[in-house]
Amino acid sequence: MRPVYPRASSYPDFARLVDRDKAQVDRRVFVDKAIYQAELQQIFARAWLFLAHESQIPNPGDFLRTSMGEDDVIVVRQRDKTVKAFLNSCPHRGNRVCMVDAGTRARGFICNYHGWSFGIDGALRGTDGKVYETDETFEKAQIGLTPVAQIDSYKGLIFATFDPQAPSLEDFFGPFTWYLDIMLDNDEGGTEFVGGAIRSIIDCNWKFPAENFVGDILHAFWTHQSGAQAILGGAVDLGKRYDELAFQASVYGHGIESNLDKVGNTRTLGYPELVDYVFDLSEKARDRLGDIRARAIGAISSCTVFPNFSFLPGQNTFRVWHPRGPGKIELVAWTLVNKNAPEHIKELYRKGTMMTFSPGGVFEMDDGENWEYATRVNEGFVTRHQPLHYALGLGTEDAASEMPGHVHRGSLNDANQRLFYTRWAEFMKYDNWTDLQNGETAPPVRRAQAAE
Amino acid sequence: MPDLLNIARPFGDLDRPVDVETEREVTRWLHLEARLLDAERYQEWIDTMIAPDIRYWMPDMDTRRRDDPRGTFRHGESAYFDDSWHELSVRVRRYNEPSAWADNPATRHAHLISNIEVHATDDDGVYAVFSAFTNVRNRNEADQDIVHGRREDVLRRSDGRLKLVRRRIFIVQNILLSKNLNTFF
Repeated sequence: MRPVYPRASSYPDFARLVDRDKAQVDRRVFVDKAIYQAELQQIFARAWLFLAHESQIPNPGDFLRTSMGEDDVIVVRQRDKTVKAFLNSCPHRGNRVCMVDAGTRARGFICNYHGWSFGIDGALRGTDGKVYETDETFEKAQIGLTPVAQIDSYKGLIFATFDPQAPSLEDFFGPFTWYLDIMLDNDEGGTEFVGGAIRSIIDCNWKFPAENFVGDILHAFWTHQSGAQAILGGAVDLGKRYDELAFQASVYGHGIESNLDKVGNTRTLGYPELVDYVFDLSEKARDRLGDIRARAIGAISSCTVFPNFSFLPGQNTFRVWHPRGPGKIELVAWTLVNKNAPEHIKELYRKGTMMTFSPGGVFEMDDGENWEYATRVNEGFVTRHQPLHYALGLGTEDAASEMPGHVHRGSLNDANQRLFYTRWAEFMKYDNWTDLQNGETAPPVRRAQAAE
Repeated sequence: MPDLLNIARPFGDLDRPVDVETEREVTRWLHLEARLLDAERYQEWIDTMIAPDIRYWMPDMDTRRRDDPRGTFRHGESAYFDDSWHELSVRVRRYNEPSAWADNPATRHAHLISNIEVHATDDDGVYAVFSAFTNVRNRNEADQDIVHGRREDVLRRSDGRLKLVRRRIFIVQNILLSKNLNTFF
């Protein structure tokens, strides 16, 4: 039984729902069931998706259960220290073989239905009873849990794809790794997730939170006025050097926006010791990252890795918006820290993300309802035929920027969101990675090379 | 006593039920608290019912195998609440803002408290209290969130008033089946 990796198709009609010229998005992308199924096929069965941080499964047999799109997946550390990931479904009758969120030092997984057991490498080890042992046609060696097509990690973060044709993880990121390193490589010793994960359900389309983190600092002033008042005693402040420093940048639909104000995000966690820590870290990181990225570590900023993995520099919340139908997501959120950070700093980050970006946090509290109603109103037939406006910051492209990717001036800008939806349209339209990696969202240098 | 105030330690089996008068007093306290929270009188709640040395903890619940030594939750890991008085007061400050959109228009609350057991401790005027709750939030036309759980409280009498010094809250959900927790438990 060989793994079956579904092939991509092409949905040019869906791709046209993103209108680059008018900077509009057709609302059917948020509620239409056929479009959602096409997303599972074109995006979630092809793109590299975040699975786990290396620190969550340090020892052989350590495992956790997660999702790739709607597919249930087990991620397991192997005896040789590599990581494998499999569909969490028995090849016999399909039941889940792992019912728990996570565990340590497992020797394998046993299906509760008929007792088929699998090693941590996914191979079928045995079956209950003696029936199969006496069946000469039964080829045990050919049966196992379905592995992901490719798995790799980047500076502690493990990703996988169901597409054997997908380019390498580094090619999928392209030069966006330059921005990822702001959080993943700002000091020696690497990073880790502290604590466990917080999971919650939001009745919204997965693209609303993804586009929010890819480049919507605009909402912070209005949506999060109450949270900012509660923690800072005042409004969100983009800093005196906004005009000079603030930017958005995008590569292949991945996007980051930052004000380069050093500690604006960290300050909102509400613990002065953390602000001091990030100030010192920022000074120290100049050698490692250069001035621009050193200023970004704790700045007012946000980031999404296409399609559904997001984080906030400085606030250190990392999260996945798992799709659960067109109108529902499961949000899983973790806290990232530098391994070499003092214990009390790690503890303050854990509490800080809880106080801000968790279901009871003073910022996240007010996000969910916006995304739910932005989704739900489109059940109205006439409503969903009204396009949405994504035209803030047209003409702000900064072609002379020395930073990688499509760079735009000003973080109060829809530029990254336009490129996020352009990337979405590329996935809908193209059935191959050559086109996918050389389209409009590709880094400008690569597009220039491809054109020659 | 130090053990009783250690947020990471469960009560275990308590076997010192208090007299009827004390039980009635504690029960009244719990019902008053529920009524204040129903009415979103959060400032009054924190000012009059919460001790300055409060520890208020609600971990998230992992699904784990029975033989997993970690168990379903562990203090020091992720939580919905792991608050001192400072953190609780920050949350209350947000509710006091007119732009707390998830609470404007107002949410309709019902905090139902039951299964109350009040036990004496080694200290006079310090009580260990079990209770169970159903928390219903409904807003706008049809948005409804229901959370069930259990609590382990320590109440302490000072200057004639009972105040909450420790609360452990265990909900029955794994994935929180709500977008937010715009209430206290």
